[in-house]
Amino acid sequence: MIPEELEEEMLSHPGLGAVYRKLKEELAGADDTRSLEEIRVAYLGRKGAITSVLQGIKELPPEERRSTGRLANLLKQGLEEELASRLEGIRQRELEESLRRERLDISLPGRRVPYGTRHLLSSIIEEIEDIFIGLGYRVAEGPEVELDYYNFEALNTPDWHPSKSLQDTFYVEIPGSGRRDVLLRTHTSPVQIRVMESTPPPVYIIAPGKAYRHDVPDATHSPMFHQVEGLAVDEGISLGDLKGTLETFAKRMFGEDRKVRFRPHFFPFTEPSAEVDVSCNMCGGAGCRVCKGTGWLEILGAGMVDPNVFAYVGYDPEKWSGFAFGMGVERIALLKYGVPDIRFFFDNDLRLLRQY
Amino acid sequence: MRVPLKWLSEYVDLSLDPGELAELLTASGTSVEGVEKVGGEWRGCVVGRILEVSPHPSADRLSVCRVDVGGAARDIVCGAPNVRPGMVSPVALPGSKLPDGRNIGEAEIRGVVSSGMLLSERELGISDDAAGIMELDEALQPGMDLAEALEAEDTVLVLEITPNRPDCLSVLGVAREVAALTGRRVRRPRFELLEEGEPAASEVKVEILEADRCPRYVARLIEGVSIGPSPWWLRNRLRAAGMRPINNVVDVTNYVMLELGQPLHAFDFHLLRDGHIIVRCRRDGERLTTLDGVERDLHPDDLLICDPGGPVALAGVMGGENTEVNPGTVKVLLESAHFSAPGIMLTSRRHDLSSEASYRFERGVDPAGCLFAADRAAFLIRETAGGRVRRGAVDVVAKPEVLLPRELSLRVERAARLIGITLSASEARGMLESLEMEVSPAVMGGESPADVVGEGSAPPRVVAGGEGDGEVLRVKVPTFRPDLEREIDLVEELARVYGYHRIPATLPRTSNNVGFLTREQGLRREIARVMVGCGLHEAITWAFIPSWWMDLLDPGGKLLPERPLRLRNPLSEEASVMRPTLIPGLLEAARFNINRRIPDVHIFEMGRVFLPLGEGDLPHEPLLLGCLVCGRWVPKGWDQEAVEADFFVLKGILETLARALHVEDCSLRREEYPFLHPGRSAKVLLNGEEAGFLGTLHPRVAEALDLPGGAEIMELDVCTLVKAAREVPPYREIPRFPAVNVDLAVVVREEVEAWEVEGVIREAGGELLREVRLFDLYRGGQLAEGEKSLAYNLVFYALDRTLRDEEARRAVEGIVRALGEKLGARLR
Repeated sequence: MIPEELEEEMLSHPGLGAVYRKLKEELAGADDTRSLEEIRVAYLGRKGAITSVLQGIKELPPEERRSTGRLANLLKQGLEEELASRLEGIRQRELEESLRRERLDISLPGRRVPYGTRHLLSSIIEEIEDIFIGLGYRVAEGPEVELDYYNFEALNTPDWHPSKSLQDTFYVEIPGSGRRDVLLRTHTSPVQIRVMESTPPPVYIIAPGKAYRHDVPDATHSPMFHQVEGLAVDEGISLGDLKGTLETFAKRMFGEDRKVRFRPHFFPFTEPSAEVDVSCNMCGGAGCRVCKGTGWLEILGAGMVDPNVFAYVGYDPEKWSGFAFGMGVERIALLKYGVPDIRFFFDNDLRLLRQY
Repeated sequence: MRVPLKWLSEYVDLSLDPGELAELLTASGTSVEGVEKVGGEWRGCVVGRILEVSPHPSADRLSVCRVDVGGAARDIVCGAPNVRPGMVSPVALPGSKLPDGRNIGEAEIRGVVSSGMLLSERELGISDDAAGIMELDEALQPGMDLAEALEAEDTVLVLEITPNRPDCLSVLGVAREVAALTGRRVRRPRFELLEEGEPAASEVKVEILEADRCPRYVARLIEGVSIGPSPWWLRNRLRAAGMRPINNVVDVTNYVMLELGQPLHAFDFHLLRDGHIIVRCRRDGERLTTLDGVERDLHPDDLLICDPGGPVALAGVMGGENTEVNPGTVKVLLESAHFSAPGIMLTSRRHDLSSEASYRFERGVDPAGCLFAADRAAFLIRETAGGRVRRGAVDVVAKPEVLLPRELSLRVERAARLIGITLSASEARGMLESLEMEVSPAVMGGESPADVVGEGSAPPRVVAGGEGDGEVLRVKVPTFRPDLEREIDLVEELARVYGYHRIPATLPRTSNNVGFLTREQGLRREIARVMVGCGLHEAITWAFIPSWWMDLLDPGGKLLPERPLRLRNPLSEEASVMRPTLIPGLLEAARFNINRRIPDVHIFEMGRVFLPLGEGDLPHEPLLLGCLVCGRWVPKGWDQEAVEADFFVLKGILETLARALHVEDCSLRREEYPFLHPGRSAKVLLNGEEAGFLGTLHPRVAEALDLPGGAEIMELDVCTLVKAAREVPPYREIPRFPAVNVDLAVVVREEVEAWEVEGVIREAGGELLREVRLFDLYRGGQLAEGEKSLAYNLVFYALDRTLRDEEARRAVEGIVRALGEKLGARLR
């Protein structure tokens, strides 16, 4: 409270000695804010003991005034500091105590804010859309109940083609009409035709949506499924452009480290045609059960738009060329996320839906 | 198509190992689905020569054979009746394993040690013949490995042949492809056919009544054959290629079909009336029992091979039982005909009958190859079944133009541009010639190639520049390539032979194409995100539903289309109607989960429904948003009570959605729906326009579906939602002066609804009243029966000054007065 070398002087001071001794005693017993406040009032208050000594200085003989004043002020200042520090210590202790009391079991669950999930197929469709939007494509749509003309004929599929049979395609009864050419589209390719019919080139579109085939459901077949079809028509479009586009897509979709392979194939509405594989991610291309030992996974079919298709929509095949491609969304989901059975996508089992 | 490599190597030199060959074929469009080893199942079996045969000392029907298997001769006990000294046969030595899994060891048979086993064909897995020990060529060296001796070990490529490449449905066709890809030459099978006796034409007459469907028919006559098993090499090849050997004559027809791609059929000539073949369509009442034993009703459009007595074969699909080659057959009429593809396809489909022959005809067979195939088969029948091949073939060509090679033009520059490579005329020519096309330079420019699609298309552009630019080639396409009809088909051939992997990957050089989502497409994503943010899981349900849903949801037929869209050929009655609403799918999804003890279902779906329009029109396919919640919305937690998924949860979701889309006015109007609880259902109005409904599932429907807990459902038209959405609302001034908050509790009769109270409050509150929020609903206590108390928090503020308490108090007094006057309300 006061410098040590003054202790003796303070104790022997006729007026302050007793005050100081008592104060030291009282301070020793004070351990809460209330008793400290009492001490403050008793010594430093208007009628406090130290205050009184200070007020009484002018009454003292001149030779004592100086030393008494010095000592009294010293004591006052010392006490103020002591009180402040004691109070701070107590407050600190009290805060610590209350913090201890307020400790939570933070392992209790957080208060639930409901949150849902997108269907895996929708997420994949959006992912595909976004990749192609980045490449300058727009998203086109068309009806799911289609005419034979758009689904087959204008896509250069001959009338006797097996895919048109009742065993392969769902046909729709139009009430009050004898029409036999209304069907559930078997791919989203008819959107190509509708877009080209109504828009002059250049055209860059993708067409996501549902398609239907007369398949009894099993692990790899579903009568309803999703496809994304793409079409680019412009001046000077080449097979190399198709390759570059789909390579870009496949690496975006499946990972930059994946290899992409183009194999010649056959489709009625494209020529030249190709099937596109990506290297198998399960085995890294070494061959496994998922890729049937080939190291490759087929992900889509593609090709240059057949000039016959252009003839149907009135595009001049001498001026314009283009490519088209189509992929099954379920297949991509099966490959990318390892879902083992296509039927799971339409069970709507919340235990599956909540995974994505 | 299964191609044994030893067979293939007869027609082309194979410089690649099977893996490399598979890769090369796959890269050129003939996808290799598998590379199989065959004939490896005879490890430990060798060739043995029987030296002596002596009877078994203690068993009548067994004999003990002394057999030379190379090295020291050994004794083998055998029960077969046909063993004799000098016979060469397969032997399983101790330690070997048979195809049926049996392990052969040294065994003591009735006191005699047998060190090995003489084998029948059945034991080797070659045929069902177990009558005796198999006999081998006596020139074979004893001790030789059996598989090697029989040349049974081979590698088979399993190919997926696309429908445009019927020419690859034969070993020779694949050899041509391999030759083109490896720069080799193809060797066609060579043979010299010995013809004898009177010309076949003296006994055989062929008449084609349907020239379009059967442009050509070649017949050959072979007499004096003896039907029996084929020699080993023939059976071995058929087996490797996936066909079952039958007898020498039939096996030869199959062999030549696999070799050359031309399906053949052999008739027992004596069972044909008058040696007279008539190719025609069905006549009334005709039936035919095909080789598979099925008696078939024929269709008027089925093309038939007939004799004067009636049908003897379903042309190009399957022969008839009545003229089948049988063990007693001595004279054979061999058919090698050309049938056009569509007719065969329809017949095959009508009878649900597919054969190796129909599979090939459906895709297109080389019409020019009939005679060669007939000669080849006649030669091989003579080799394997003996007999004499009668002089000459009866070759009726009803439509000669099918035999002419097609001529196409190819603009080299255009081809290169379409592929995205540089290509000189000589390179292009080389590639086409490797595919057996005849190529010659054509006149430059001016003349439009006849085959270019589109009348009046521009003449080929002659582009000045490097070598070959603008050059036009005339290309003669061989008749075995029916798929090459246009210039673009040749472009594909060039790309294929060039190699897709060598084409540089580029992106379209477009400059002014911008990709984006339309406003509606963007908002749809937003709607889905809001639903997810609200705690709903997205479902995708079937677009086809059972028809009973219509009666269940709408027994009066007032709401849903009276005649929903039906499928003509549904997979089942349970999937026969195109959904006119998303509700059935959502309810089924709820049931699916509840049945799996997941009682709390919160789902939404965005999908199209199908509403029939006028006669002949395609249906309307509005995109709808459906939501369903049932069970608990929030389960009981450690610090909070469970919240039931009730009407107001779903209404809250609707309000959140409207808020997120900045819909100015979203309200419910009480309305009854046949499938909703009449007291808990409403029409949803967005800016006054009907957007759909929201309500509690009618208990009748819930009971019928076995959903005891019921469900809350909502369905909204996405288009209306999008129309009501406002993307960026304009700035509204933020108050700078403090607001006055007043709580007001009023007591009203039970039948007074909250919207009425709120309406009166807002009207009477004047412009300073900015917000009205119900924070308490109370019944009972000191309130009378039939009364309830509604407590509101009212917020007043002015934009230009601090509101005095006095002003707010006056406004509240006005509200209380109005509530009293209009609704009989009193302060609580």
